[in-house]
Amino acid sequence: MLLRPAYALAALAALSGSARADDPLHTLIDQHVGAAIKSAGVTPAPQADDATLVRRLTLDLVGRIPTTTEVDAYVKSDDANKRATLVDRLIASPGFARHQAAQFEVMLNPDGGGRRGGAALGEYLRGAMTAGKSWDRVYRELMLPDESDATMKGAADFLKARLADPDKLTNDVSVSFFGVNVSCAQCHDHPLVKDWTQDHFYGMKAFLVRTYDAGGMLAERGFGLAKHKANKGPEKVAPMMFLTGTKLDDPTAREMTKEEQKKEKELVEASKKEKKAPPPPAFSARARLVEVSLKDGNADFFARSIVNRMWHRFLGSGFVNPLDQMHSENPPSHPELLAALAKDTAAHGYDLKRLVSGIVMSQTYSRSSHYPTEATPDRRLFAVAALKPFTPLQLSTSLKIAAADPAQFEGKKAAEFEKLVEQMEGGGRGFASLIAQPTDNFQVGVGEALLFSNGDRVTREFLTDGGNTVLGRVKAMTDKKAAVALLVRTAYGRAPTDAESTALVAYVEGRADRPAEAYRQVLWALVTAPEFRFVY
Amino acid sequence: MPSPFFCGSDAHRVSRRGFFGAAAAAGVAADMTGLNVLGSPALASELRRGQKRVILLWLAGGSSQLETFDPKPGAPTGGPFRAIQTDVPGLQISELMPKMATRMKDVCLIRGLNTRNGDHGSGAKLMMRGRRDEPSLRYPDLGAVVAREMGRADSQVPDYVTFYTQTEGRSFAPGDSGFLGARYAPMELTTNNTPEFIRRLDSITETDHRERAELRNMLGRDFVRGRTSDALGSHAEAYGRVRGIMGSERLFDVSQESQRTRDRYGPTQFGQQALIARRLVEAGVPFVRVARAWWDSHGQNFETHQEMVPELDHVMATLIDDLKERNLLNDVMVVTLAEFGRTPGINASLGRDHFASAWSMTMTGASAKGGAVWGRTDPRGQTVTHEEVNAANLFATIYAALGISPHKNYYVGSRPIPLVDPGAEPIEALVK
Amino acid sequence: MPPVPTPESFRQTGDHNRPVITFAVALGDRPGRAYFGCSDFKVYEADLGAAKVEFKELHGTHGSYVTGVAFAAGCVVSGAYDGKLVWWNTAENRHVRTVDAHGRWVRKVVASPDGALVASVADDMVCKLWDAETGRVVKELRGHAERTPTHFPSMLYGVTFSHDGRKLATCDKVGKVVIWDVASGNQLGACESPGMYTWDPVQRLHSIGGARTVAFSPDGTLLAVGGIGKIGNIDHLEGKARVEVFTVADGRSQWVFESDRYRGLVNKLQFAPDGSWLLAAGGAGEGQFEFLDVAAKRPKRQDKLTMHTHDFAATPDFGTVVYVGHNRVVVHKPA
Repeated sequence: MLLRPAYALAALAALSGSARADDPLHTLIDQHVGAAIKSAGVTPAPQADDATLVRRLTLDLVGRIPTTTEVDAYVKSDDANKRATLVDRLIASPGFARHQAAQFEVMLNPDGGGRRGGAALGEYLRGAMTAGKSWDRVYRELMLPDESDATMKGAADFLKARLADPDKLTNDVSVSFFGVNVSCAQCHDHPLVKDWTQDHFYGMKAFLVRTYDAGGMLAERGFGLAKHKANKGPEKVAPMMFLTGTKLDDPTAREMTKEEQKKEKELVEASKKEKKAPPPPAFSARARLVEVSLKDGNADFFARSIVNRMWHRFLGSGFVNPLDQMHSENPPSHPELLAALAKDTAAHGYDLKRLVSGIVMSQTYSRSSHYPTEATPDRRLFAVAALKPFTPLQLSTSLKIAAADPAQFEGKKAAEFEKLVEQMEGGGRGFASLIAQPTDNFQVGVGEALLFSNGDRVTREFLTDGGNTVLGRVKAMTDKKAAVALLVRTAYGRAPTDAESTALVAYVEGRADRPAEAYRQVLWALVTAPEFRFVY
Repeated sequence: MPSPFFCGSDAHRVSRRGFFGAAAAAGVAADMTGLNVLGSPALASELRRGQKRVILLWLAGGSSQLETFDPKPGAPTGGPFRAIQTDVPGLQISELMPKMATRMKDVCLIRGLNTRNGDHGSGAKLMMRGRRDEPSLRYPDLGAVVAREMGRADSQVPDYVTFYTQTEGRSFAPGDSGFLGARYAPMELTTNNTPEFIRRLDSITETDHRERAELRNMLGRDFVRGRTSDALGSHAEAYGRVRGIMGSERLFDVSQESQRTRDRYGPTQFGQQALIARRLVEAGVPFVRVARAWWDSHGQNFETHQEMVPELDHVMATLIDDLKERNLLNDVMVVTLAEFGRTPGINASLGRDHFASAWSMTMTGASAKGGAVWGRTDPRGQTVTHEEVNAANLFATIYAALGISPHKNYYVGSRPIPLVDPGAEPIEALVK
Repeated sequence: MPPVPTPESFRQTGDHNRPVITFAVALGDRPGRAYFGCSDFKVYEADLGAAKVEFKELHGTHGSYVTGVAFAAGCVVSGAYDGKLVWWNTAENRHVRTVDAHGRWVRKVVASPDGALVASVADDMVCKLWDAETGRVVKELRGHAERTPTHFPSMLYGVTFSHDGRKLATCDKVGKVVIWDVASGNQLGACESPGMYTWDPVQRLHSIGGARTVAFSPDGTLLAVGGIGKIGNIDHLEGKARVEVFTVADGRSQWVFESDRYRGLVNKLQFAPDGSWLLAAGGAGEGQFEFLDVAAKRPKRQDKLTMHTHDFAATPDFGTVVYVGHNRVVVHKPA
């Protein structure tokens, strides 16, 4: 089923008078989404149960499954405010900074599995998330990094990894920060989208074409120009122009003279020797791009894009899909809500925590992913929670936690607990590199199934039964039913069903001569089953 | 113009993922009797289609057209090797290929490639995909497309296998399923001729390995009920294929062939891998690439080709004979292709450098027309003078000769993506 | 015996541009007269002593690169990648005979010191001895494997007579050198210079290099082999120019010289008339010549040539050395 714009209009009509700008974000979200569901005549999925919700929140916010202790505490709590408390705790924890940074790293470097610029960009992002930097600040620091500041070194990697190809730089900046893919307009006006002409591509390129690599350091010329040739007609010089059409007067648009080329060469040599970036130009085109793009009237692109991306991160798809196709011919599923969230985010200084908290506190977020009848509602209605495949690091860290003796986590102080989790995350990184990074339309390949089925590494890293492992613990248990129940609880955060319990016990009893092996195989089956592989 | 609003929902196309995924999760994928296959038109046509397969002999580093399929004997650029007459009237190839010279009536030869990219990395990507990636869109390569078009969802064999045992240039030309995703990613063999993780570990018995997988299916049964997603389906499908793929390990074992057959392919790694490729396509694997690196003869071009071309000649001829004898040549296409050819100019080290302006490739089998020659180069081999072919035309032709419409669309989100660049047409004269 | 020129005394006296690659050079029976085998399938003649040096086409009867020329019995005997040997009488400027000499590509042709025999080597891995007068085959010497240990075709690059004409040496791609008794055609011994051959089993899966040239010392006690040292990236001739010297009597290696200055092949080697030094020339993108002090086992003079040098020929007293190669012919004389 297709959500036509008419639905959106109807949803809007149903809303009028009920949603107000000063409502809390999650209320705003639920009112808009609920109205659209109602006007589509669809019954939404019920709210997920507590065990599911604590698992989902922990995975989405801090990138791992919850421990049995965490699940029990949440499920058993009768505090009416327990969800908000949990969300606040998770967002304040170091895991939040690490996981969100990892997500941003993939977002900024999608081709490299998040690693193209090397580890430094990731380090910068972790620092930025830990410090609670706002999104516009991160944007400024990535676009205008001060390399002489040691803590900013990684920030420069975003640009530096792209300096060899100004066209790619132009497009990646547009995609990452404005949700706009202008690459189609590189060779001709966009065939499908009237919004994007060659002038847009080259207008954006004009801001970035002066940025260059000075012996491994980032540098920018005080002049330069982007030229393009239409399919027909003469070569044109593109003025700096933002996506909204805002043009900049540009007295410095000119080609380099021979003399300047020579001087630049010397400058590059000097930077190489001194390992110091050349001084910035008096007029920085890149700085102008940052300034122009955040100005009133232009900032919509920036604000809408980050809202759309964060919505996609937590709900599994964006208001606008694909994330880099935000243009007039690809309208959002919920235009008013997107506008409202963008406005709120801009008004609150692009505070990511506020936005994230608003999203995950909504009833829209906490719906069940289970929809029992045949016809699943259009996913653009957000009437059912989407299944989100684990990221490689979510998978490896969660495997470590599922393989650990849950007693390890009990009675630990918050700081100690966080340290242990961080160690586990670090220990799983190598394995994570074997797993594919999910994208839209992601499919699990047979390579992963073969790795889990026959890879020595899976056994060595996650299925050992020494000290501090759950397999070590169950090996020593005499009650088989309790043993398999413990395995199910550590992996799934819930008790086994009767049918599961019977089947698992039977499996273990059938291997009375090799109980340790039997439990190992049970844990293998648990963590390779779909219930483990997805955020549901 | 196609609608930019295609929703990509399951209701609008038969989703093999969702379909087989759910089936596999329920443990019945291997047995199709319970499923109303013919009730689903897309599936039925998929199962009926005569399954074409491809063996790509990837001549990594760039073999020389002048020392293989487009010799220029006597020209200042021609080098020392003579041209010999083939079984196709008027067609001569290098004396380094005497075996292929008697088999050119089965071969469709393109001499007019002008692909304009003389860089190993981007050239290899171009010639694996038939087009340039967009900054934010990675296209699937030939192998992934053929795997997708010709592979069966419940296949017991891998869909796309690639051998690239040498290390040079391997990272330039990885098998890449692009936006088609991990489902069509190749099984890559780089260190030996047996795929990774295809063999059960000694630490688990055969029975436990099988029953453990059944336990896993049981655990997933409740979870998938009431949940639909392509990713979920692919997860089930991937695990559903494990036992079958493990069973295909014997396909990689040349000792299953008679000594005579093994001797026929010769003792070299390339020969043995070509034999494995034949075993794989015979068992239904849609696409196998055997990369033979490294032809990058900047120094000593003639001696490098004197060493390597006879091996290519032998392996290619043996493969074609073998496929023919097994009645497979109507369904299996053997392609020779590289990232580019080599310069007509001979450098001071008696080498030839990178050259993409006038080079050659071949297609043999399936619906590629045997004995056909397309494209002509000037007497020194520097330019294409007639019937020029670019990467898009070439891929359109390969697809057409495999019975795949080159204008078919895939969808990335809502965006229709034709298999080849818009406007590129197959060369009709080369397709039977 | 006139005094032997010192390496330092050689000066360039001529440098001629050529539109072709010259693979082989031989000096004729008249002073200054030289013959050239070239990439345009032709054999040229030039009087290098003339005021204005002209390269005249002697004949164009070959069907491929002319890679060996020798002067014997009043004829230029040339061998080419077409597998043929052609005898051409220079005094009468006429074709004498063409012989289908080898099944594969001829690599080198040399004449015996007395001019009675001509030896040719080709990639059929056979060395053939020919009666220079009649063009009849006298001996076929088989001692080099047709295939490399990794099953690829081998190549037989070099052949030379000892100064007394009694011995012959041949060298192949994998660095094997065989010493033959000319009279009987029997193998007298063999030595190996595997350092000349780079087989890249993993990265690129093919080979490069080979023992390209051999030379006996005037007293017949030493045998020098030339080629290139081990190469990392076999796409290029980036190994060190390499010479290995063996004692003929026992086939033992005496000295390996790997140039500290030049990379590329050593395509031609020759001892000084008194055996005191050894001249090695070759190249890659550019060329070089290196004089090696045989007794001291060290280089005496190392210098650039303007082109990758495929061959040189010297008068018996080394009063003239003619280097040939990529698009150039260069003449050196002692000052």
